[in-house]
Amino acid sequence: MSTSPRPELVAEGYQSSRRPRWAELATSADHKEIGQILICGALGFLFIAAVELVLMRLQLLVPENTFLSPVAFNRMLSLYGATSVFLFAIPLALGFFYYVAPLQVGARGTALPRLGQTGLALYVAGAVVLYSGFLFTPSEAGVNPLAPLSELAFLSNNGVDAWATATGLATLGFVLLAINLVATLRMMRAPGMAWRRVPVFAWAATVSSWLLIVIGPVLLAALTMLMIDRNYDGIFFADGSGGAPLLWQHLSWIFFTGAYMLILIFALGTIAEIVSTFSRKPLFNRPVTMASLAAIAVIGTLAWMQNMLTAPIGIGWKYYAMLMSLALVVPFGLVLFNLISTLVGGTLRMRAPVLFALGAISAISIGLASELVQSLVGAAWHVKNTTDATAATHFALIGGAVLGGFAALYYWFPKMTGRTMGELMGRISFWTIITGLLLGFVPLFLAGDEQGQVVDAYKYFDSADVTAYNVISTIGVLILFVGLLLTIVNAILSRTNGSPAGHDPWSGDTLEWFTLSPPDPHNFDVLPDVRSAQPLRDIRVAIGHRTRRTEQGAARESQPVA
Amino acid sequence: MAPHSPGSDQIDTLLLIGIVAAVILVIAVNAALFYAVRRFRSERGAAPRQLHSGRRLQFRVGAVLTAFAALLFILGVVFTDNAREAPATGEAGLASAQSEPLQIKATGQQWLWRYDYPNGAFSYYKLVVPVDTAVELDVLSTDVVHTWNVNDLAPKADGVPGKSHKIFFSADEEGVYEGDSATLSGQAYASMQTAVEVVSPEKYESFIETQKSEIEAAQERVVDVIENGEVP
Repeated sequence: MSTSPRPELVAEGYQSSRRPRWAELATSADHKEIGQILICGALGFLFIAAVELVLMRLQLLVPENTFLSPVAFNRMLSLYGATSVFLFAIPLALGFFYYVAPLQVGARGTALPRLGQTGLALYVAGAVVLYSGFLFTPSEAGVNPLAPLSELAFLSNNGVDAWATATGLATLGFVLLAINLVATLRMMRAPGMAWRRVPVFAWAATVSSWLLIVIGPVLLAALTMLMIDRNYDGIFFADGSGGAPLLWQHLSWIFFTGAYMLILIFALGTIAEIVSTFSRKPLFNRPVTMASLAAIAVIGTLAWMQNMLTAPIGIGWKYYAMLMSLALVVPFGLVLFNLISTLVGGTLRMRAPVLFALGAISAISIGLASELVQSLVGAAWHVKNTTDATAATHFALIGGAVLGGFAALYYWFPKMTGRTMGELMGRISFWTIITGLLLGFVPLFLAGDEQGQVVDAYKYFDSADVTAYNVISTIGVLILFVGLLLTIVNAILSRTNGSPAGHDPWSGDTLEWFTLSPPDPHNFDVLPDVRSAQPLRDIRVAIGHRTRRTEQGAARESQPVA
Repeated sequence: MAPHSPGSDQIDTLLLIGIVAAVILVIAVNAALFYAVRRFRSERGAAPRQLHSGRRLQFRVGAVLTAFAALLFILGVVFTDNAREAPATGEAGLASAQSEPLQIKATGQQWLWRYDYPNGAFSYYKLVVPVDTAVELDVLSTDVVHTWNVNDLAPKADGVPGKSHKIFFSADEEGVYEGDSATLSGQAYASMQTAVEVVSPEKYESFIETQKSEIEAAQERVVDVIENGEVP
């Protein structure tokens, strides 16, 4: 920022002998490089997941369609689940956390960079394993492969092994990245950056990382048991002889429910930053919002049995799951209340990040409200495992990971590349996605609630009266696909052709806007004293005061002496 | 959905309550969002004004949300408890089921439902039960997890290998109720349909007797073939 000599510049002479860009990327332990690779990988896999969703919806276009065989459909379903959760949603959230959170707290790097680098390598390895089709046949066991279907006796090819290896590698990678984030945000905050002044997004990163450190090993344990069952005659999930099929459900749902909460916490943290920046107001009631995000992580994960309301477990456990799910109304309600209250009295500038953030609030509210219906035990006995559940999950997670993730992309893209993403294309993409989301998934609410169409089935019958719903849903998903593609293309084009952004295009209040776009490897040459949650606003106010004083002084001086 | 069992009636009502609650929440959030976005744009030219959120406001909002959740929880428990209660067998029902419910086993296997009746008879695909009679259905599985799903009559229930899962229903009208399976169970999962045929107690009695005698006759024939090596 300053033009006075800097010790860092002495090293610049060596830069001409730097290795090629791809070698830099492959060997870098810098949190910005790793974050960008995670985000790019996630967006690539979003495209692949969307293609898989489109193929499944085409199969479900008309009753008793033969476009995909039952086996092909089940493989597509399993790949779609693993891709969208493990290769898109979680890495996208982690990528932004990893890139932005250290900058936001004024860290000049991360605490355990090599650990994070290993985490990225494990994620890449997981992706490679899942998609090495020439070595493995894809799993046919579904999004969450419930034991005993996932056991060797029922699926004897190596699909489930590949699934378990891929998700296991990726999850281990996420845990390592999370450990580094926790350590960095704990130990490397700038002077004055007390927890009460940490930006909400960095707080969301802390909460999510702790959540991953708790739930990740649970899934890893379950996957290990599954691999022992399949490859070494284990009996963990076998019926009788000391095994229990329900054990898999408990362990896996702890992870999947926690991951669901993680994606929403990421989205809410992003929305909080965007809403407060663009309405030029600090977040309404920060402490309550931050406490609510932590409460969502804890209570939400404790509600894992919400997914098991039709399983043969005691009714007391089902009521417990319902209690936890309904208790979530309070923290989610408070966060949404505070986000909307932030807008009140502000001066909102309608730019692409804001559009996506507001759309995310709307979609998440629809998804969570319908999850609430799913969590009432008696009602669940009707709507569980119908397309109503599909629609609820997709509204919440497309709202969180796609709309929330794209909001983050449009917001922080200028910081990462120094260029702004195309505004018009962003707006077109947004409205296309919203249209696709509504057309694609509202009909599934109706098909599930009224006709009880079941999930994961490769066909339905004309007699079930759900044909119209499914036709509209398929059209909607095709529109959604176009919308996703527009933003991905926008990002690719804007990387080289976007308008230059400068270091602070949105006049943000948090420290990442204090440094260059893209930041130097060491992030900051100098750091301001952090005295509030809005260090950059403090600087602007101080400059404003000084300018005003100087002007007043100049005005006084120019007065003729009486 | 058209509920035809006392339990399904309760489920239907609870579902309606849930949907109303969900619609209220969605409308509240989106209306507030829409208002805030319309009203507070930068085009209005005013300087942003910071609202100070007293703790009391947050407590009030939190209290309203807690009351909302608590009310839903209580309603959920009440209706769920009603839905899982064993119904009583009525006048028109099976006489032998007056004191305790008729016990039938539903066993899922890839990709069929098998029903075992108290007299030892069994049937595949179609379950036949007497009208106005309390039925205790024990949902089981011999291989993977299957979810027995006949929405109009009874709660969804997972059959998990090695676990017993009992649900109750009592059909109030004769007819055929279509159903299927609701948990991915492999290749032919989508074709794993089932149906419940509700008939008069007399027809039910004669059905299980015929099934039993036919099954026994078939077994005898098999034994004959094995012992005598010839088809009678």
